[in-house]
Amino acid sequence: MSDIVLRADGLAKTFHLGLFRKRVEAVKEASFDVRRGEVFGYLGPNGSGKTTTLKMLMGLVFPTRGRAEVLGRPVPNREAKRRLGYLPESPYFYEYLTPEEFLDLVGALCDVPRRERRKRADTLVARVGLDHARGRPLRKFSKGMLQRIGIAQALMGDPELVVLDEPMTGLDPIGRKEIRDLMLELKREGRTVLYSTHILPDVEMTCDRVAMIFAGRIRNVGRLSDLLTARLLSTEVCLRHGVGQIPGLPDGGRLHETADGMLMELPEGSDVDAFLRAVLAANCSVISVTQRRESLEDLFVREAGAQEGTS
Amino acid sequence: MNRIFAIAWNTFREAVRNKILYSLLFFAVLIIVSALAIGNLTLHEEVRTIRDIGLFGIDIFGVIIAIFVGVNLLYKELDLKTVYTILPKPLWRFEFVLGKWLGILLTLAVQMVVMGMVLGVVLAVEDAHFDLATAKAVWLLFVNVTLVTSIAVFFSAFSSPFLSGFFSLGCFVVGRSIPDIRALGEKLGPAAKAVLSVFCDLAPNLHLFYPSGAIVGAEEVSVHRQFVGADYILTATGYGLAYSVVVLVLAMLIFRKRDFV
Repeated sequence: MSDIVLRADGLAKTFHLGLFRKRVEAVKEASFDVRRGEVFGYLGPNGSGKTTTLKMLMGLVFPTRGRAEVLGRPVPNREAKRRLGYLPESPYFYEYLTPEEFLDLVGALCDVPRRERRKRADTLVARVGLDHARGRPLRKFSKGMLQRIGIAQALMGDPELVVLDEPMTGLDPIGRKEIRDLMLELKREGRTVLYSTHILPDVEMTCDRVAMIFAGRIRNVGRLSDLLTARLLSTEVCLRHGVGQIPGLPDGGRLHETADGMLMELPEGSDVDAFLRAVLAANCSVISVTQRRESLEDLFVREAGAQEGTS
Repeated sequence: MNRIFAIAWNTFREAVRNKILYSLLFFAVLIIVSALAIGNLTLHEEVRTIRDIGLFGIDIFGVIIAIFVGVNLLYKELDLKTVYTILPKPLWRFEFVLGKWLGILLTLAVQMVVMGMVLGVVLAVEDAHFDLATAKAVWLLFVNVTLVTSIAVFFSAFSSPFLSGFFSLGCFVVGRSIPDIRALGEKLGPAAKAVLSVFCDLAPNLHLFYPSGAIVGAEEVSVHRQFVGADYILTATGYGLAYSVVVLVLAMLIFRKRDFV
């Protein structure tokens, strides 16, 4: 069994919009692969081409160039579709159906036998925390509840690969945590998860690997630990307010006043030991010392800046 | 096949939960029932009037409902983006279009049965029967709405509901006027006759489904006296279904190549 469950190879999509057929390159070049059993994050700012890439992979949009394979078959392929589940961005479902009716419809489309459909629908409604909403038409669902039923329908065919387009959008912190937990649970069950987002803390908590897309072009693909530079960016020393005489900061250092104390940011290459000795000699009270390394947000902003510079 | 039936059943469910459809059905029933009052104003022509007005109501409201449902149900899937959830399922795009079409037909069949039953009750009030000729007429009207639905689904595969409705209605008017267009060609000269003749051959001949008062096989047929025979019904049904299949296949080909942005 192949280790690669999804491969995008030079995917590009150009739309011609409006009366004058204005050319819009939504995706210029997207190449990446997703490996079996991992949680893969597809990151990019709004309008960078994430949703168009996923729609090409789901067979909703035909690529202008490039090719894609899902579960070893070229897109679109019915056999591959049978083994994948997809949640579109800001999903909208048949509002006149109840969760059970909707999941039954999805199960029928996934060729799940009738009896099994009922069982799965029952389990999934409970799993996404919608037990209390059984029998209620979807038109009465909040955005968070729709997102949950969206995830349930993506799982109805018992898929190997789950593709979620912006699954955290519009959710409150509790809802986001539940979706994060669910993704990790799917991973534990041996499923592969690909999801697009621009909410970076979620990515750091869930993803094994990521791809970043800016203005339609992929800039980085790999493990977060490989993409983030290991170098120390700065050291933050937090001192208690009004205790001792704060010594002079090294060159390039900055001082911020916070609610808890005084925060000193020492630039890369500072002699932190010497500074701490001076602090202690001045009878200051140290609350914390934190080494700040590059975060995903730093990388994201750096890449977005680089992209702006080249475009 | 299960997948097509699942889409069809869901389409039917969507239609029967649409309140506008009930309003249209209510007006259709109102017209059929009003035939009772209008019939009583005539001198010994009550049954004839009821049958004429009843069939007219079934015809017009059948077509209005077919166009309304046909142009809206497919477009709504695109507009509300429900199609994004459905098409990534293991489903061919043609199965989706076929399922929607069958669902609309099921809805129309139920509506026609309801309207036909109301006509039967109204006729019974006047001690008349819902006879074989009336049943044949209603069947032809159902084939008519089948074809109109296919045309509406075809247009809605690539245009807005307004344009689709406009084009479908245009096709209905032209299709019903085929004998008049041919007669016009006779008057305009050989060139116009040739052009209009080709046009009439290609356009959907919806006049076939409303033959009462027309000359068929050198005889005037009427739902009140001598109506069309089984061979006519079979030919007209075959024509309607064949035309529907062609239009539906075109809709599927357009749908197959479409980007869902």
